[in-house]
Amino acid sequence: MAEPEEQPLELILARNLLAIISLAAILVDVDGTIVFYNDAAGEILGTRFEEMGRIPAERWTAELGPFDQHGARLPQEGLPLNVALRQGRPGYGRFYTSVDAGLIPVEATALPLIGPAGLHGALVVFWSLEGEDPA
Amino acid sequence: MRVTFWGVRGSIPAPGAAAAGVGGNTSCVQITTADETEVILDAGTGIRELGAALAGRCRVVHILLTHLHLDHIQGLMFFAPLFDPSVEVTIWGPTSGQHGLRENLARYISNPLSPIEIRELPAHVSFEDASRPAWELGGLEVRAALIAHRGLTLGYRLSSERASLCYLPDHEPGLGVDLDSLDAAWISGYALARNASLLIHDAQYEDDEYRARRGWGHSSLSDAVTFARRSGCRRAMLFHHDPAHDDRRLEAIGARAAALWDGSGATGSIELAREGQAIELAG
Repeated sequence: MAEPEEQPLELILARNLLAIISLAAILVDVDGTIVFYNDAAGEILGTRFEEMGRIPAERWTAELGPFDQHGARLPQEGLPLNVALRQGRPGYGRFYTSVDAGLIPVEATALPLIGPAGLHGALVVFWSLEGEDPA
Repeated sequence: MRVTFWGVRGSIPAPGAAAAGVGGNTSCVQITTADETEVILDAGTGIRELGAALAGRCRVVHILLTHLHLDHIQGLMFFAPLFDPSVEVTIWGPTSGQHGLRENLARYISNPLSPIEIRELPAHVSFEDASRPAWELGGLEVRAALIAHRGLTLGYRLSSERASLCYLPDHEPGLGVDLDSLDAAWISGYALARNASLLIHDAQYEDDEYRARRGWGHSSLSDAVTFARRSGCRRAMLFHHDPAHDDRRLEAIGARAAALWDGSGATGSIELAREGQAIELAG
């Protein structure tokens, strides 16, 4: 799907914030498309956003997960981003994501971006739990 | 459409001889459409003199408020048409999830800040939420969108068949980003401003002042010039002048803006907005 002529202000301001913080974070629109992730997230994922561009939900969920420790896809219900986008409230969870080095455990919190016109997407911060048991 | 500047100052009026050349009244721009409909952008102190000029001459007035900071609504109580029972005034503006536009304005037009209550205004006054798809006023298409400023703030674009005006008086699109390289879709206000015949844009601070005022919701001169260039507007007018900037300093700012503009290879023109200035936009 083509990028809109202008993103909602809620996403623009969230991207401005993400671009300058050191905590890994991604920004998704209301359809679940990744529309930005910051350099800290790029370090975990192994690729900078500038190289990747927008990533539709079907593609990044297939490639990045979330997975269980055996690499099986987790059901979307109850996952942080799903809670944020479907229920409009913050979601939190632990799971595995797939990167170049294989599966790594991560912890994530998703915040819905709701403005006067409604839900525009979500901001997801996450951090690696390598060396810990995420279960 | 005819565009007349009745107030070009930001934050607080700047009375006195030192600012009289560019003007000391706060934000107010009059748009008179081809069918003589009066559309007024913001109700800063400049609207008082506009009201005096309109008194007895118009029956329908639309006021488009970008936001409710005092420098954009202070003149409302002194706008003569609001005291004429034969006039219909529609006030458009942002509405927060918690409070309606009328309720928010009533916090200013009510005791103890005002001798009159909003319900006592003699004119037929109505209040409309401007957060909606495009609508039409006097043959112009009006579009509003949230823009980057402190608090809920709208920018406006008014378009006829042959001309368009974009009004972004309080706007900080460059906060935390490089406006030169950012994808246009991620620039606040871009869709409203794109290829406008006339862009009226915040340029409150000089670049060295901006460093200590980052996040206050206003643009540095460099960011204002860059935004105008990226928008592709044909004519940019720098607006919301800082009350501490006297005429001499503003003329120097205007010259710097022109130099930046010319140096960037942008087409069109850039200049200071001045109180009393009138422009005829084709169409």
